[in-house]
Amino acid sequence: MLEIDGITKYLGKRKLIHNLSFSAQRQECIGLFGDSGAGKTTVLNLIAGLSNLSGGRISVAGFNTQTHPYQAQAALGYQLQRGLNHHRMSVKSVLNFIAALRGFSGAEKRERINKAATRLELFPVMDAPLAELSMPWKRKVAIAQAVLHTPALLLLDEPTEGMSPDQLLNFKMLIKSLSDEMTIIIASRRYDELSTLCTRALVMADGQLVADTPLPELQRNSRHYHAVTLAAQAPLDLLALAVLPGVAGIEEDQHAPGTVTVLALPGQTIYPHINALIASRGWNITSLSLEQGRLNDVVHHLTQEVRP
Amino acid sequence: MKQLPVIFMHQLTRYACSPGTYLSAAVFLVLCAALGLQVGQWLERDSSDLQVFFQLHPWLYLMLVPALSIQLWADEHDTSFRTLLKTLPITPFERVFGKFLAAWFVCGIVLMLMFPIVLIANHLGATDNSVIRLQFLSSWLLAGSYLSAACFICTLIRQQVVIFLLTIGLLLAVSGLSSAIEALEHQMPIWVIDSLIALDPLSRFDTMDNGKLALSDSLFFISMILAFLSASTVTLNYKSR
Repeated sequence: MLEIDGITKYLGKRKLIHNLSFSAQRQECIGLFGDSGAGKTTVLNLIAGLSNLSGGRISVAGFNTQTHPYQAQAALGYQLQRGLNHHRMSVKSVLNFIAALRGFSGAEKRERINKAATRLELFPVMDAPLAELSMPWKRKVAIAQAVLHTPALLLLDEPTEGMSPDQLLNFKMLIKSLSDEMTIIIASRRYDELSTLCTRALVMADGQLVADTPLPELQRNSRHYHAVTLAAQAPLDLLALAVLPGVAGIEEDQHAPGTVTVLALPGQTIYPHINALIASRGWNITSLSLEQGRLNDVVHHLTQEVRP
Repeated sequence: MKQLPVIFMHQLTRYACSPGTYLSAAVFLVLCAALGLQVGQWLERDSSDLQVFFQLHPWLYLMLVPALSIQLWADEHDTSFRTLLKTLPITPFERVFGKFLAAWFVCGIVLMLMFPIVLIANHLGATDNSVIRLQFLSSWLLAGSYLSAACFICTLIRQQVVIFLLTIGLLLAVSGLSSAIEALEHQMPIWVIDSLIALDPLSRFDTMDNGKLALSDSLFFISMILAFLSASTVTLNYKSR
């Protein structure tokens, strides 16, 4: 579906992207992770044909983006980071225009627009001018126009920024339903939010790809992998937790008093021991969760490794 | 070329939704009628054509063409929308040509709205409708060449005020070319004068306006339109790199 082979991008003498290669198959949902300035948006722009390559090759649905840019663009949908804005057009007229440019007309066009509006819950704002909408709504419109034509490849740039927890839940459901139909690449700095969505993670730092791995594997590299976070109203006996078998250490949450995270040694399972301790001591626990690993820490660690 | 009708219809809708279009068209028509009747004294002349009206058009286009041209790329005033359009499968030629055709179409409608004068002319006496048709055609071709030049300016600059002023400046320069040629007639080599005359759209417009249809004059306007539209396409291609 997507083939990226040794791409390089210069801006003047500055190298923005260094010899980056990866490929994506159908029905894959890939998280493109990295700190601000890592080159995520530049990579998406290069795939979408917004800027020219300095070297290398990109092929979308079998079309080289340099030699067949319009065929490649027809096969992809791109949600820009800033959302979508227009000083005069309404949401409906923007979607109408984009649908017409995507080659739809008549009943099929109406059906496509309705489907996208339903998926993104845009009906309350369909007649509102885009300029009057808040940023999360503008981002939703940008996603709606990107999925209108059911592209083979969907590129999303920081789609969850500014979303409320409810909106985030709906967004995750949307992506799950879309991933059955298309390849999705999500560039984001909010890694943990996407941990349940993406099947694979690409980590970028300083324009280089520093990791290309299945997401669960990336989570396994986290020191919080299989850690247990528990919160209680009364102070907990941290010593009793620390001496449990397989415990590597304990972290107290500075922002939430009474919340501690018990870290597990690699390959060890500590959840049953903690459960038994809670039962035996009769602690009044308000929340207890088994962590799958914190992507923020892993990605931060990986990106720090390549920094000079 | 399959996106051309979409761009054309979209731009036409933008013109239809903009009060500026109606205002500039109304001013054009009112000034044309008022000046033709008052200054040109058309009724007193007992003329069989509408030359007194059409000879005003090069000057009236100084107001209509910039007003239409500032709306040509107004959609792309928003950075995110402009960027989004670049991710869609539209060629720069389709964008330029579709927008230009819509603006030219609006000019055609504005010219058509002069129909009451044609009806009055036919009602008053013997009119030569073939000459009037040619006058409409020459005026529309002139408007097309002016619009294509304005379209080129739009691809170079984004600020609407600058586009408006530059277009007026360019059209003023073209309108004043005949006077400049007359002033320079005895001071410049004859080949320079001949070249300037050959490039003067107004002299060709006057020829057609007088009811003489020459293929070279029509081709001059068409080639001017194609040249400016090609330059606009090349500029957009260059900018997208």
